[in-house]
Amino acid sequence: MTPLLALVRRELAALFGSPIAYAVLVGVCVVTAIFFFEHLQLYNQMLFSFSSTSIGGVNADEIPDSFNLWDAVFFPVMEVLAITFIGVIPLVTMRVFAEERARGTDELLFTTHLTPFRIIIAKFGVTFAFVIAMVAVSFIYPATAIIRGGLGAQHLSAVFIGLTLHGIAVASIGLMCSAFTSSQLVASVTAWVIAFVWWDFGWMHPLSSEGTAAILDALALHPRYSGFAAGSVSLADIVYFIALALVAMAIARLSFDLRRIQP
Amino acid sequence: MNQAMPEPASRAAGAGVTARALTRRFGNHLAIDRIDLQIAPGARFSLLGANGAGKTSFLRMLTGFLLPTSGELTLDGISPARHPHAVNKQIGFAMETARLDPDLRVSALLRFLGGARGLRGRALEHAVDRVIERFQLEPVAARRTGNLSKGLERRVSLAQAFLVESRWILLDEPSQGLDPAQRNQVRETLRGIEAERSLILCTHDLDEARALTDRAGVLHAGRLIAQGPTREVLDRPDVLSLFETRPAAKGAHS
Repeated sequence: MTPLLALVRRELAALFGSPIAYAVLVGVCVVTAIFFFEHLQLYNQMLFSFSSTSIGGVNADEIPDSFNLWDAVFFPVMEVLAITFIGVIPLVTMRVFAEERARGTDELLFTTHLTPFRIIIAKFGVTFAFVIAMVAVSFIYPATAIIRGGLGAQHLSAVFIGLTLHGIAVASIGLMCSAFTSSQLVASVTAWVIAFVWWDFGWMHPLSSEGTAAILDALALHPRYSGFAAGSVSLADIVYFIALALVAMAIARLSFDLRRIQP
Repeated sequence: MNQAMPEPASRAAGAGVTARALTRRFGNHLAIDRIDLQIAPGARFSLLGANGAGKTSFLRMLTGFLLPTSGELTLDGISPARHPHAVNKQIGFAMETARLDPDLRVSALLRFLGGARGLRGRALEHAVDRVIERFQLEPVAARRTGNLSKGLERRVSLAQAFLVESRWILLDEPSQGLDPAQRNQVRETLRGIEAERSLILCTHDLDEARALTDRAGVLHAGRLIAQGPTREVLDRPDVLSLFETRPAAKGAHS
């Protein structure tokens, strides 16, 4: 067993030994299901109203294009899922570094053959695997909407990749926050604040120039995520999410050096 | 670019621990004050001092977990500040307070720490079995470390320091929290450390220093006030006065 593999195994055991991981998985499924069926019910009711001539509706070919499964069900569910990820992923990431620091086991880890780089790789890697599992279990509803909406396998793949990358970006922010504190509460609250602010900088537009607003939009999560939700896989967007994760990993790595200066 | 790479083990072996004008500050507090110290390879060395004297800070700098504010510190020619993980491959380390993952069972924790130190397969299983036997942990091997008494936690912490055949063993207050019988057991185990391995023991227990080490240094308020053969150092009245129990303290215990 290599040192890296030993830590990966311990992290997996810690993650799946904790009830929080299962609560998060179930929570994401429940929230997605509720929103999916609520929007689906609303869509069906409106479809019925539109098409039922007996209650003053219109013929099927007269239903406006703007009223479709995509806008009425799929897109709202995707938005809810992304926001839910921001809400729940910090609950999983808050423990990863902060708990180690609070218990003092980080010092023991430091005296093994595990370099900070390996520790970062193991902890981020295991959390990313959890995010993929979370996307997989929550994907049934967007997948259903895509299949029923006739959007095709390409769209399905784009959405899966987009959700996964978004989850990885949020997890990276959460892990970065966890690396700088021994308090899980501080780690989660900081991650929520950063991720929600980073989600969309639209609220900054009234306060910023046109150029600044464009830069902020380029940095925000939401515009990048929307591209995938629309079914287009852009290399620039993939690079954006990967770069965000790498920057978070580099900042988390810095916490090890700072700790050596002031534990 | 001016950071020197660690010396190859063959060249570095035998250099021991060298501290030159080693200083460590925490804000305004001077934890280690310009220490000059040489510990020869193969030595049994105790670093003595009351609580807060700077012993733990010195050990943390030796593992590389803490950076010196100024001065130089090397172990077998390698700087822990620059190459902490090269140094950590040479040492087995037990901290003052046993900081163990409370969710892991004793054997699982030892297996994890052995794996994290590069052991694998049969060598890992053998090392875990060996330290469990050496520190008499068989009855609690399947228990979670969070459910152990302080004395047992201490023994697990000591056991993990012996998982790998490292050249240096660094122990911070190894018998703290142990009852007299357990303390004697630990001392017997430490006496049995192989001759080619070096021991650095941080303690405020003078009997322990006498029993286990042949050389000693005494820290007081971050300064190294005495060093030499353990018996000579511990015969000095100025050293003994640092460890004397004052009447008020006696009254408080009675």
